[in-house]
Amino acid sequence: MKTTMMGSYPKIPAGPGPSVRTAIQRFEKGQLSAQQLYNTYQLVVKRVVDLAADANMDRTTDGQIRWYDLFDPVVRDLDNVHSAGLLRLFDNNFYFRHPVITGRLQYQGGTLAAWSQEAVASSRIPVTVVLPGLFTFLALAEDQNYHSADTLLSDLIDVMHLTVQHLESTGIAEVQWDEPALARYGGRWPQDTVHDAYRALLGPAGTTVLDQSLALYWGPSSSWVDVLADLPFSRLSFDAISDPSILSRLSAEALPSEVGLGLLDARSVRMEDPKALAAVLSPILAAQGPDRVWVHPSCGLEFLPPDRAALKVRLLQDLKALING
Amino acid sequence: MAKNLKTTSVGSFPKPPQLMAARARYRRHEITKEQLQQAEDEATRQVIALQEELGIDIFVHGEMERGDMVAYFAENWQGFSESLPVRSYGNRYYHKPIVEGPVALGKAAGLTVGAWQKAAAMTSHPVKGMLTGPYTICDWSFNAYYPDRRSLVLDLARLVHDEALALEQAGAQYIQIDEPALSTRPEELDLAIEAMAIVTRGLKAKTISHVCYGDFDTILPGLFDLPVDQLDLEAANQNFALLDLLARHPWPKDKELALGVVDVHTHRIESVDEVKAGIRRAMEIIPLDNLLIDPDCGLKTRTWEEAEEKLRVMARAVQAVREEEGLE
Repeated sequence: MKTTMMGSYPKIPAGPGPSVRTAIQRFEKGQLSAQQLYNTYQLVVKRVVDLAADANMDRTTDGQIRWYDLFDPVVRDLDNVHSAGLLRLFDNNFYFRHPVITGRLQYQGGTLAAWSQEAVASSRIPVTVVLPGLFTFLALAEDQNYHSADTLLSDLIDVMHLTVQHLESTGIAEVQWDEPALARYGGRWPQDTVHDAYRALLGPAGTTVLDQSLALYWGPSSSWVDVLADLPFSRLSFDAISDPSILSRLSAEALPSEVGLGLLDARSVRMEDPKALAAVLSPILAAQGPDRVWVHPSCGLEFLPPDRAALKVRLLQDLKALING
Repeated sequence: MAKNLKTTSVGSFPKPPQLMAARARYRRHEITKEQLQQAEDEATRQVIALQEELGIDIFVHGEMERGDMVAYFAENWQGFSESLPVRSYGNRYYHKPIVEGPVALGKAAGLTVGAWQKAAAMTSHPVKGMLTGPYTICDWSFNAYYPDRRSLVLDLARLVHDEALALEQAGAQYIQIDEPALSTRPEELDLAIEAMAIVTRGLKAKTISHVCYGDFDTILPGLFDLPVDQLDLEAANQNFALLDLLARHPWPKDKELALGVVDVHTHRIESVDEVKAGIRRAMEIIPLDNLLIDPDCGLKTRTWEEAEEKLRVMARAVQAVREEEGLE
């Protein structure tokens, strides 16, 4: 059994230590230089990747420490898109700046690759970069240009493909496509559309050296299993907190890809019992194969206060030790 | 008070620098609770004076005594503990409460009355009594005690009802019960409505609920069943796209709409013309008698200067529309 971070991690410490929040406040008051703010970001990224490595995780993200939200670096890397007004991120008391598309999407690159290289340089374990999935981008962006979902999707696939190509040279191991919108708004897109879009994005086998995974969370995901299992994802991740029915499905049937299970509730301070989680995992490990199952929080841990997020990481470490010995 | 297109604010105002300094000194135990309250009262006076100057019709007290709209109640009621900060957007964080036991008013019954009374004594305009709704308090807290969300929401509803009664008995003619989280889970809209019915049961004051930053498409027209007299919704944040959505449903005759016409999450100050255009679009959809005008949300996210300027633009735009349309 393997473990990984899922995306975001708190930007502030549970105790003493560098804090992005404080650094930004001091920077805005003129008390920190741009260099000092930059250094703080680096220190906090280092803290996150070290935490993951120390917890014996197999992969980590950079905690999205520099990111304003899931769309931030992608928007920075595209022309004819800008971040606009705040919107609530699904059912969270968390708000993102929704992308507004004002012209035909063009890829410029630079930001995400630079941030990813920095994470790789800091990390002792392989790094995953999380990108907004095609349909989550479509669901949460405002299109003022295309007025045709098909044309927009086609161009989005092109620029995301370029994004992945650019990330290949950064040293990361994996791109994870986050698709909460597919889980949340399941019926909004025909399954064939989703299948064909990701088929086009992933391309034929060998197109990229990077693993490409997909994560569904914050809603029912069982209905997507057949559609997505047919695609060459390295891993399909599911949120067992919002959709416990996925557990029986994965206990009964082996998927072609590796399987990720969000067994730890990343939006609750209640701590799970490792032994109870191990019992839940047992039939899934048997069905999928013990080396093909990843366990992770249900989503990024930034929805928790930093002390509780750290406890969840520790719990993941304990669970892994319990399972793998 | 104007007869048409009455103006108001959603709730919070930015804390003036003097109050920020006083809060910091209080945290360092350098001043007493009484000295902090004096600073809060002075800031409230500034909020009231600004609304007087701009000719706002229905006032708010500005929530100078509150940090976060949910944490304020959790800090004072029983059953909650406080978490380390959690980010809500950008560089904004809040101490998300943790429900650790049965919720109760404890010694904090009538918690909001004092601040309301002080503000009401500063003006002849009506001042809204400001509460946070039970659904939002539940949704923006970690629940580590109750077996499910429903039982927590309904327990909280009884507390908010008691607080609303206390405000009404103190003389509040307008009581606002903010439910910004209401639009997040369409499947729980009925629960939020049930809880609001508990809160507003038997109240004679005009009841208002502010709902914002959500997927309104999924909760309309069900939102119209929320048992309050006035819905307060944000529109400027998305260039008044909300109005297109509202236009698909007949507006209920017995409900008012307070429409947000300036975005509280951007430094940019809107022009009078763009605010006027938004108001005119709203007038095509909402009966004039049912329409009020305000900012999108609480103004505390802005600097004092930005908040003042945004309100000034709003007031000018409303006045211009009134004059151009020959409204009283």
